[in-house]
Amino acid sequence: MTRQVARVERPIVEAPAPTSHTRLVGRTTHPWGWWGWALGAAVAVSLTRNLLLLTLVVAAVVWVVLARRTAAPWARSVGAYFTLALMVIGVRMFFQLTVGGLREGTVLFTLPEVQLPAWAAGISLGGPVTLEAVLFTISDAGRLAAMLICVGAANALANPRRALRAVPPALYELSVAVVIALSVAPQLIESGVRVRRARRLRGGASRGWRAVTAVVIPVFEDAIDRSLLLAAGMESRGYGRTHDQRRVGRGTSVMLMGALMCVTLGTFILLGVPGSGRWGALALGGGVVATVVGLRRSGRRLAVTRYRPDPWGWPEAVVLGCGATAIAIAGWLAHTQPNAMLPPISPAAWPTLHPAMIVLALVVAIPAVATPLPPRDER
Amino acid sequence: MRTSRRSVVMLGIAGVMALMAFCWPLLISPGAALQGNSLTPLVFALILPVVLGVVVSELGQHDLEVSSLAMLGVLSAVGAAVRPLGAGTAGIETVFFLVILAGRVFGPGFGFVLGNTTLFTSALLTSGVGPWLPYQMLAAGFVGLGAGLLPRARGWLEVGMLAAYGAVAAFIFGALMDLAFWPFALGGESQLSFDPDAGALTNLHHFALYNLATSLGWNLGRALTNVALLLLLAPPLLRVLRRAARRGNLRPAQLDS
Repeated sequence: MTRQVARVERPIVEAPAPTSHTRLVGRTTHPWGWWGWALGAAVAVSLTRNLLLLTLVVAAVVWVVLARRTAAPWARSVGAYFTLALMVIGVRMFFQLTVGGLREGTVLFTLPEVQLPAWAAGISLGGPVTLEAVLFTISDAGRLAAMLICVGAANALANPRRALRAVPPALYELSVAVVIALSVAPQLIESGVRVRRARRLRGGASRGWRAVTAVVIPVFEDAIDRSLLLAAGMESRGYGRTHDQRRVGRGTSVMLMGALMCVTLGTFILLGVPGSGRWGALALGGGVVATVVGLRRSGRRLAVTRYRPDPWGWPEAVVLGCGATAIAIAGWLAHTQPNAMLPPISPAAWPTLHPAMIVLALVVAIPAVATPLPPRDER
Repeated sequence: MRTSRRSVVMLGIAGVMALMAFCWPLLISPGAALQGNSLTPLVFALILPVVLGVVVSELGQHDLEVSSLAMLGVLSAVGAAVRPLGAGTAGIETVFFLVILAGRVFGPGFGFVLGNTTLFTSALLTSGVGPWLPYQMLAAGFVGLGAGLLPRARGWLEVGMLAAYGAVAAFIFGALMDLAFWPFALGGESQLSFDPDAGALTNLHHFALYNLATSLGWNLGRALTNVALLLLLAPPLLRVLRRAARRGNLRPAQLDS
């Protein structure tokens, strides 16, 4: 009796220390959090043509990426997006120089001018190149480039496989198909190597078009056989038997159809009917809400559980909040300081910097310090 | 894969929405809320995934069995693996021929879903997720859907028909993608630019010139790639796919040969 009491007083196995989801070392931030943040920054950037603000936001986004990316392959994609952004600016500059419409102001140099015939809409190629046109092109294309870099940041920071695991249950079948695709893709390379080696051992020619088809078709057959095996395996392990066997109710289907029609109608009103923006936004918003409700209802019939789901803690809330705050500040600036956000095309002037713009860039940069460090070996 | 009546209605609505998303520069009227400003692509980038999600979820829940699901995954992997082979070089686009063949063998619904999952997988593998992705997914989906709706034919007639379809689809795909992103690729201040105040016809004229001047080479390259790949690979791959359809009990649209 006394021994028992002693055991209770001093347990051999220590109770684990209370853990919470918001451990600060070695955890990845939820991928949808990063996407929300990046889209927020992209929307904020889309409201301005001010080169100083664009530079500040891009710098903030790049800092966050450098501070919080992992060693995974997708984390190296930011460089590609920078190349793409530079290409956008280059292409826009080329078109401005050749078929540009801004020809008045301070002339920098003059290109030879060619008048095209009437069937080509009377366009003239070349002509004087002005400082105003060059500045406008750089800032307008710079806005697009900055949006691209924001999207690239989301691609670099968010783990695509984890993002796929967190899709709503209504899209479960499709996420299974994409997960199969992602895991089969590397096996195709291995299959190709095997087929080529077998072909070389048999003494077949390994050059020319015939060699290509002689590799491609066996690899394809191999992949198809693998899919049949996989389907048999999934079926024998009970895939698709976790359904609550009822089909999706007719009501839910009709609701989803109505929601889609609402979305389509709302978009049409927003684009093509003058002066009825409120009705369009109402139809669009209502349609989107009905879609979300319908998808939740149709997803309920699946008994899907998730293995170790990603937690949604305060770092995620902060990241998402930063995106939303950035939109709010940019919207306020666009409303109260239109000349600072969209500087007039002529006369050419140095862009002005409003204090709120620095706040905006700082808000975009907060996730670089407010999120936990990612683990070293994340794959 | 059979397509249920609900899915057909959904696909119809998605078709209207897709047409609107691609042709929006021609639809815009002066004074409307989204007047060709930089918010338009973001609005579409947020709405199109919702539309795609609903349609694909409907197709997935009613029409996909386990065997089609595995086939979908494996074919998407093959498509995503061959896509980088021609990436960007003179319009060589190697992703469509597989979607066309699978749509032909397994039916329009499967073709639509495969177009979507292939482009999505490819974007995940190459970190290419962005506002252009929903457009590419929709376009590839409808390329697969159209291939499933082609009339019955056999032998070389079928291969020729698929190749011709591949060529036409390549040009339509190129023109529609360019039209959707034309206002952003060119900016608003050039003589070939999109002008929200001009009529649809003027804009169409300007766009046709712009497309002819900048994209003819790319579209031609894409069409030739499709034709060459389909002529060379369609007979053996169709045989493999039809055999798998019979063995895997995948209720294909038509089981000739």
